[in-house]
Amino acid sequence: MTTALFSVAGAVAVVAAVVVVVSRRIVHAALWLVLALGAVAGCFGALQAEFVALVQILVYVGAIVVLVLFALMLTKAPMKPLPELTTGRSPFAAGVAAVLALILGAGVVFAFGNEKIKPVTDGSAKTVGTQIFKNWVLPFEVLSVLLLAALIGAIALSQRKKED
Amino acid sequence: MPLVLPLLLAVVLFCIGVYGVLARRNVITMLMSFELMLNAVNLNLVAFDAWRVDEATGQTLAIFVITLAAAEIGLGLAIVLLLFRGHGHVDADAARDLEEAS
Amino acid sequence: MIATVWRVAGVGFSLLILLFAALLYGATPDQYAFMNSQVGDLTIGFAVRTDDLTVLLLAVVGVIATCVQVYSLGYLHQRAASYHALVTLFTAAMVTVVISDSLFFLLIGWEVMGACSYLLIGHYWERRDARSGAVKAFLMTRFADVGFLFGIFVLGLGAHTFRISEIDPARISPGVLTTGTLLLLVGVVGKSAQVPLQTWLPDAMPGPSPVSALIHAATMVAAGVFLIARLYTVFSASGTTLTVLAIVACVTMLFAALCASAAVEVKRVLAWSTVSQLAIMFSALSLGTADGRHAALFHLATHAAFKGLLFLCAGVLLHQVGSAALVVLRRYTRRGKLRKALQVTFLTMTVGLAALAGVPGFAGFFSKDTVIEAAWEKARDGSGLGWLVLVSVCLTAALTTFYCLRLWLWTFFRTPALAGGIGAFEDGDAAADLDEPDSSKLRDAPWVMLAPLVLLAVAAIALGYADGVHLNWMIGLISTALVLLGALPAYSLWRRGADPRPLLLEREFGADPAYHGLVVVPVRWLAKLTVAGDRDVIGAYVRAVGRTGTLASQGFRRLQTGNVQTYLTAAVIGVVALAVLAGVIGS
Repeated sequence: MTTALFSVAGAVAVVAAVVVVVSRRIVHAALWLVLALGAVAGCFGALQAEFVALVQILVYVGAIVVLVLFALMLTKAPMKPLPELTTGRSPFAAGVAAVLALILGAGVVFAFGNEKIKPVTDGSAKTVGTQIFKNWVLPFEVLSVLLLAALIGAIALSQRKKED
Repeated sequence: MPLVLPLLLAVVLFCIGVYGVLARRNVITMLMSFELMLNAVNLNLVAFDAWRVDEATGQTLAIFVITLAAAEIGLGLAIVLLLFRGHGHVDADAARDLEEAS
Repeated sequence: MIATVWRVAGVGFSLLILLFAALLYGATPDQYAFMNSQVGDLTIGFAVRTDDLTVLLLAVVGVIATCVQVYSLGYLHQRAASYHALVTLFTAAMVTVVISDSLFFLLIGWEVMGACSYLLIGHYWERRDARSGAVKAFLMTRFADVGFLFGIFVLGLGAHTFRISEIDPARISPGVLTTGTLLLLVGVVGKSAQVPLQTWLPDAMPGPSPVSALIHAATMVAAGVFLIARLYTVFSASGTTLTVLAIVACVTMLFAALCASAAVEVKRVLAWSTVSQLAIMFSALSLGTADGRHAALFHLATHAAFKGLLFLCAGVLLHQVGSAALVVLRRYTRRGKLRKALQVTFLTMTVGLAALAGVPGFAGFFSKDTVIEAAWEKARDGSGLGWLVLVSVCLTAALTTFYCLRLWLWTFFRTPALAGGIGAFEDGDAAADLDEPDSSKLRDAPWVMLAPLVLLAVAAIALGYADGVHLNWMIGLISTALVLLGALPAYSLWRRGADPRPLLLEREFGADPAYHGLVVVPVRWLAKLTVAGDRDVIGAYVRAVGRTGTLASQGFRRLQTGNVQTYLTAAVIGVVALAVLAGVIGS
């Protein structure tokens, strides 16, 4: 059951991701990104990681993609398809990516070819919360400082300079 | 469920992200490809967490990564805006200010 | 100030040599070795000795050096400090050669003399002929010194000692002896300007006249004669070397005397006569007898006196008239000015030329007769070598008289021929004589220059009697006949106002062009080849390295595109390649 669910979600994610990187309309690509990220959230769900899946939908779909769309609007991204959206190196880049995929995939198959995942239900918010605040408190706090720094950095960067 | 299935999915997503970063001209689409790569990593974390029957360590790290991704996209888009203000475009190919003068 | 110091030091040093010679006169021969070091089974170091030969040479060097130093006080005003310092060093080097008992110590003096002669000949380095003459002298003597150095090696290693007094020719194998003495002979021939290394001496004439006097009378060229006299036991033990020496000497004396007969400049005539007279000394040495050695040294002493005198006289002509070329001197002579204005010079030069020519009663007559007598003694024993020397010296004596009288007459006397013999030296350019020379300021030299002349003139007469007169009347008669034989054609030519100079003699037998073609041109070609090789072969490699670096960096510059994605692609490829490599190595 979970396997089938995962497979479907995974297939959707792959297709959506491919469209994201080959689409000629930037806004469409952003919207397809929503679908890809959502499908990955589905995969999380299939792996009994409900909290991560929810956070994925909230943060990615809800915040990040919206941010990207804002950026597209601010940079006056055209709606019409652009033929030169990919560079002349794209076949080469595709080759590099394919080789990388081959190597990584072969490695994964060789290393974990016979392993199985048993369905265990421990992905609740309670479990994750306990982990965060029991074992990972310090990284969590550091991460919050990092977020603050990123916030301030983004403001400082995007601020217009005074005329003088 | 075989462990290979989510791992292979992660590999495929990562490589699509790599292709996007290397081949896309628009800086915003490069950032989107970064998101795809980060997602592939998350998928790995969650899959190994499920496999090891652990105390949800992988999921915790996945949440941390999502947070990092949020910070990264915020800064990245700020940089993109700066680039647009400076050059009037967001074309990674055309932003060659560091080129060797010939 | 510095010039004054050096003047005083130079004169003082020369007088000191004279003092030493006087102190050492009659002392028992002695030797002293110092600073010796053992190299293997050989002892190399310094050693000095005193004996009759040393005292004789010290006296000669002292007298000539004193005369030259005093004379130079009046003669030279330009760069006097360096001049007097160099003359002093030159004299000191000759003294080193004279007193040394170690072959290496002798070599040091020998080489220092070569360097000093180079510097002194080039004293007027603004003049091109002085520069080239200096370089020529340096190159030729240095070439000969290579042979000299190897001769020292061969002889010293063969005799197992470098002490001159310890070399015993009986203990050296004949082959080594001949090789060593022949190599030494090369150095001697170069230093004393014998054939075939004779051309540097006439070309050294642009140097100051006192230096010429010093070189020709007491140092440098006399060093060659001295060396053979010093190593006489060794040289006389090798018949081959003596034969070679005799042939070289005989060829040189005739060659040089012929060249002197055709030279048109006073100093050049004197230079060639020096070469000729040195050859007479060598021929006496080549007889291999004690009489021969004695004759050579006697002639060396008298020659030093009259040749020093003659060069100093030529210096007066240069100093007072401005040139020693016969064509210039003739302008004054034809108007009867020269002889009257320069009376002391005229008289002393007459004495000097008479001594050189061997006029009976003068020093040259006695010393030359000693040589002839020694050769006659040898020839009477049935030696072909003796006959060769005898005939050559007799011929040379006649030739010497010829060119001496020619020089004397043409320099100081108006020829009774039509128009005063115009055209004899002007190469048919009669107009060369038209301008009246300003002779109102022509007067004799200051007394500092004349005093050495008088002293040497006295010596040029008196030295002939210093050895005790033991004249062989037969030989004296022959010698006088030879003098007359040489004098008659010179006088008759002068009377007729003609001075025929065969082209071959005027070009000095073409030795210089031949050497130029045989040595200078090939060396220049080699030099050009070397330069080309350095520039086009060795330099090409160096330039290629630089060019490669530049080209490579230009290529690498292209990689710096400024495009972030290119860099990223390269990075990813690198990661992939590393992964593949790790897999290959791991498997």
